[in-house]
Amino acid sequence: MDLNTLARHAGEWLRGTGADADIVMSCRIRLARNVPDVPFVARCTPEQKAELAAMLSERVLDADIGEGAQYMSLEGVDQIDRLFLVERHLISTEHAEADGARGVAFDVRETMSVMVNEEDHLRIQAFRSGFHPEETWAAIDALDDRIGERVQYAFSEQLGHLTACPTNVGTGMRASVMLHLPALGMTRQIEQVVHAVQKMGLAVRGLYGEGTQASGGLYQVSNQMTLGKSELEIIGNIASTVPTIITMERKAREALMAQSREQLEDKIWRSYGLLRSVRVISSGETIDHLSHLRLGVNLGLVDRLDMGTINQLFILTLPAHLQKIEGRELEPRQRDIVRANFIRETLGEA
Amino acid sequence: MLCENCNERPATFHVVEITDGEKREVHLCEECAREKKIALPPSLSLNEILSSLMEAHADKDVPELSDVACPSCGMTYAEFKQGGRLGCPRGYAVFKKGLLPFLDRIHGATTHRGKVPRQITRDAGQAAELLRLRRELNTAVENERYEEAARLRDRIHTLREGR
Repeated sequence: MDLNTLARHAGEWLRGTGADADIVMSCRIRLARNVPDVPFVARCTPEQKAELAAMLSERVLDADIGEGAQYMSLEGVDQIDRLFLVERHLISTEHAEADGARGVAFDVRETMSVMVNEEDHLRIQAFRSGFHPEETWAAIDALDDRIGERVQYAFSEQLGHLTACPTNVGTGMRASVMLHLPALGMTRQIEQVVHAVQKMGLAVRGLYGEGTQASGGLYQVSNQMTLGKSELEIIGNIASTVPTIITMERKAREALMAQSREQLEDKIWRSYGLLRSVRVISSGETIDHLSHLRLGVNLGLVDRLDMGTINQLFILTLPAHLQKIEGRELEPRQRDIVRANFIRETLGEA
Repeated sequence: MLCENCNERPATFHVVEITDGEKREVHLCEECAREKKIALPPSLSLNEILSSLMEAHADKDVPELSDVACPSCGMTYAEFKQGGRLGCPRGYAVFKKGLLPFLDRIHGATTHRGKVPRQITRDAGQAAELLRLRRELNTAVENERYEEAARLRDRIHTLREGR
């Protein structure tokens, strides 16, 4: 697969459409699956890994992942390309940094991806833009059925799908929703929200950086438990918890608009002005300003930009993407310059 | 504040170094902090957390597992506790006694209530079909209906090959 053709746009799940897309960037569900009678990947010999990769890649492609689906072996792929796939969420950091026979299959719209020989033999993923957890489940459920017809899964009647890590056993499912919650951060309510969500048995973590004050106000909410509840019950728990977070973020936005509109507008327009005139910028700083700009667009304060453009900028300004776009390896210092140029070009220089 | 090492990037790591009882504040950016291998807070891997949880919970429960190794992949219970990961799917059955209380603590449950894979569902149907075919085959052989028996044997063969 030619990754260069992907480099100038992000996957469909970032196009900024769908329900509650002003707050919910995307939904993602992954299923961990393994083949019986073979060790889990960490204990496979190189030969076993190679056999698994050959067998699984063929059957996964046969299961019809979607339009233009291809399998890409990660063996011998250079670091920038691997990081590029990580930035697009098609593979995990662990999968990029591992060694031995392994790879990933995904469709051209990047709505589905299947990692082969990650921690589990198969990690199936589905992505959707906006808040559509049930639809995302329907898509991955069907793909899992198709793969399951071609690959025998390690399954126990009592414990369900058997996974390398006991924290994934049962459904093998991790469903997560990526949320943009800048106003809850600005009004210092985010910690309470995080605590409340954790009480519902859900995990909250920042998309970039750790801690509760995640940079860019981007958070992921996901289930922690995988055993003892059906997939639909787990998704139902997320589907009923997230709207409350959405409402709280909306209220915080309204409060900011009502009580300190000038300060808020100032923050947003400063970020917009900065991004349009910047000459050198780090990835961390970019994320913070893009977050303000995204809020501005959603509040109707900035009307000349669409959300898809801003969502994409979060991904396209990451190190590997810049290097793919530029077509060469870049030192961190050069990257910050190229990043600034790319942002100015995209936003239209003032 | 700029990183005091490269003077370029913003300092995001603020550490107090104590050398010979003398305190000194150091402000570094992430890259320089990483380069110097200081300042970075210890990041706990899931592995470490799991293994410490395993140590805390699994040890007291099952002394009889201490010498047990999985006959499929050779992983011992001690190895499992240390790494927090199973060696192969069979490990769940082999270490079941130690695992169940642990799973109950992680998930609050020990029984799967989700999806059952297609092949299992089909296999169950297939097993019933095979049973029926074998019974018919026996009857056919007993009654010396060899042509039918050959046909049934082929069906059974195809079904089993298809697994």
